Amino acid sequence: MNILSVQGLTKQYPSFTLQSVSFSLSYGRIMGLIGVNGAGKTTTLKSILNMVCPDDGQIEMLGRSFPDNELACKQEIGVVFGGVDFYQHKKLRDITNVTRRFYTNWDESAYQKYMQEFNLDELKQVKQLSAGMRVKYSIALALSHHAKLLIFDEPTSGLDPVSRDDLLVLFRQLIKDGQRSILFSTHITSDLEKCADDITYIKKGKVLASAEKESFIQSFQHLKEPSDSRGLTLEEVMLRTERGSNNV
Amino acid sequence: MFNLLYKELRLAAHPTLFVFMLMGILVIVPAYPYGVVFLFGCLAPFITFMFGRETRDTYYTALLPIKKSDVVKGKCLLVSFTQLTQLLISIPFAILRVYIIPEGNPVGIEANVAYYGFGLIIFAIFNLIFFVQFYQTAFKVGRTFIIASVPAVIGIFIMEFLAHIPSLQWLDSTSPDMMFRQLPILGLGLVIYIMGMCYTFNLAARRFSAVDL
Ligand SMILES: Nc1ncnc2c1ncn2[C@@H]1O[C@H](COP(=O)(O)OP(=O)(O)O)[C@@H](O)[C@H]1O
Ligand SMILES: [Mg+2]
Repeated sequence: MNILSVQGLTKQYPSFTLQSVSFSLSYGRIMGLIGVNGAGKTTTLKSILNMVCPDDGQIEMLGRSFPDNELACKQEIGVVFGGVDFYQHKKLRDITNVTRRFYTNWDESAYQKYMQEFNLDELKQVKQLSAGMRVKYSIALALSHHAKLLIFDEPTSGLDPVSRDDLLVLFRQLIKDGQRSILFSTHITSDLEKCADDITYIKKGKVLASAEKESFIQSFQHLKEPSDSRGLTLEEVMLRTERGSNNV
Repeated sequence: MFNLLYKELRLAAHPTLFVFMLMGILVIVPAYPYGVVFLFGCLAPFITFMFGRETRDTYYTALLPIKKSDVVKGKCLLVSFTQLTQLLISIPFAILRVYIIPEGNPVGIEANVAYYGFGLIIFAIFNLIFFVQFYQTAFKVGRTFIIASVPAVIGIFIMEFLAHIPSLQWLDSTSPDMMFRQLPILGLGLVIYIMGMCYTFNLAARRFSAVDL
């Protein structure tokens, strides 16, 4: 069963169009949304969440239409755009104290548990946290209201290789019990190699392919050149796809 | 609704907001253009909205499990709370003033019943223009403030001007019978403020619903 299904999502900006984006994500899986800067990853995620007004498309989340059940759906998701970068001068405790009031199934003991597990000090200000810690704080907030779907926009950008790996390992742990799913955007192909089950590749506002990782890579092997001895890696797939179009 | 206001006060409000709430105390200054007090009630939202852009307040709020229009509602609640609290805090000082400095304010209008009515009308006009203009983009604060403060300043000048017209001296008085005559202005102010805020919210929320965050 799908936890998220996106059909024909379209959004027109003066100089950019997101064209009929479709993909779906099942329970207990991680999907990486990959594309170069400006490909439309953030626009896709914002359109899904109604933060920008899409021109067309159907979004189903947790078996319901998202626009018709926006509040109920938002109770069950955790969303982070580019790390926690709001209220830099506030203490985590202050942000938590406000956030918890808005969630009907806030679980204080779960919150305390994750804060401890992630080594987060409630008395610190947001600006005192490293980029990795900020993502972890937002994950702690999401897990404390038992979010089933986690949506992250470029959570690994700006992290050092070790924190990035830590985060990807954490992502795998979060979906292990099959109750949760993660959709995250990235422009780093190694993120997908380490952590994604499914890949949706977006280029200039269009989905080029959306599939399970192995079949995704298989579907691009036609880009292989005679000189290639092995199959193409994700990085090679991306480089050739992006460069190839420039040569045309 | 309480949660929205709580969020605004705890996370979104700039510290100056609370300082400006106290500016109503100025009505105890012996000679001062009391209309300036209302300017603080307009400056407070401006600074907090600037601050909100810096702290990315809208993004945090929009991702909470609330309607998009609740983002606007939270800000309306905050601004009304600030302005009404400011006026309420000033009332005891306005009363005290009549007893300790009975000779009146030589500079401009007295802090009397009409003054509070004018204040509410000026706030209502400022808020309408400020909110509707701001939520067209949810981004341009400086320009919005300039556009909204012009009518507010004009309103303050009109109030001070009326208080200087000899035939309207009953407007510039703190004697009980004159203040009784001023009551309709206060009533009108309250009605305009309450209805204005509802209208402001509706219009601004509609504008905001089309904004791409
Ligand atoms: N609010 C907006 N108004 C107009 N154009 C926008 C807006 N937001 C994004 N865009 C344009 O949409 C394109 C895709 O941006 P984005 O989705 O942020 O890409 P990505 O996240 O993949 O780097 C860019 O060309 C950007 O300039
Ligand atoms: Mg982006």
